[in-house]
Amino acid sequence: MENQPSTPPDNNLVWAILCTVLCCLPLGIVAIIKSSNVNTYWAQGNYEAAQKAADDAKKYSIWGAAIALIGIVLYVLFVIILGVGGAFAEF
Amino acid sequence: MVHLLNSKTFLKAILPLLLLGVLFFVYYVFNPSQSSFFLPCPLKYTTDLYCAGCGSQRAIHHLMHFEIFAAFRYNPILILSIPLLIYALIVEYLNFAFGTKHRVKLFYSNVFIVVYFGIAIVYSVLRNIPEEPFKYLAPLN
Repeated sequence: MENQPSTPPDNNLVWAILCTVLCCLPLGIVAIIKSSNVNTYWAQGNYEAAQKAADDAKKYSIWGAAIALIGIVLYVLFVIILGVGGAFAEF
Repeated sequence: MVHLLNSKTFLKAILPLLLLGVLFFVYYVFNPSQSSFFLPCPLKYTTDLYCAGCGSQRAIHHLMHFEIFAAFRYNPILILSIPLLIYALIVEYLNFAFGTKHRVKLFYSNVFIVVYFGIAIVYSVLRNIPEEPFKYLAPLN
């Protein structure tokens, strides 16, 4: 193989695992599949496809984290609104 | 060390550590079972089903207080994964902060991926069975 890079692209599997054991987000599952595609393409010598799958895996992990973050912010706002509402309801 | 004087490199090196420090503090001080501001699992909240991640926040809290048994009781798969996760996160951190290209060998084996996530899926199903041996897989209430 000409131009064989020495290290495979980062498949970001650690984020997929964290998604699974911490929040079980559907995007985590897509990230897992993309991560394993990185390995498959790499083993086949298809470095371009491996890089693309790695970029996808990263993209889905970031989206997963962003959705989780938005969920947390909405949840905190929800709790605050309920708390404030509850405080007013006592009067 | 000259690199650290470069402000962008410095930020990349320091921000993940700050974030981790804040998370450590929150999960050490507050017990998710007794505090209401922790985010409940969206799946548990909407369907009342447990996923592979349910109990993780409480498990982390107990682990930080060296209550290994309690931590195990909330989420064994997380506790068993912790050595690997710590190793992998250190590698990710070094790559992110210092631009190195270290790789966790295990993650580049599809056998490992299939086995690990296979276990996670089977475990998610089993912990929802409310019968004798399986109910111990569900987090304590």
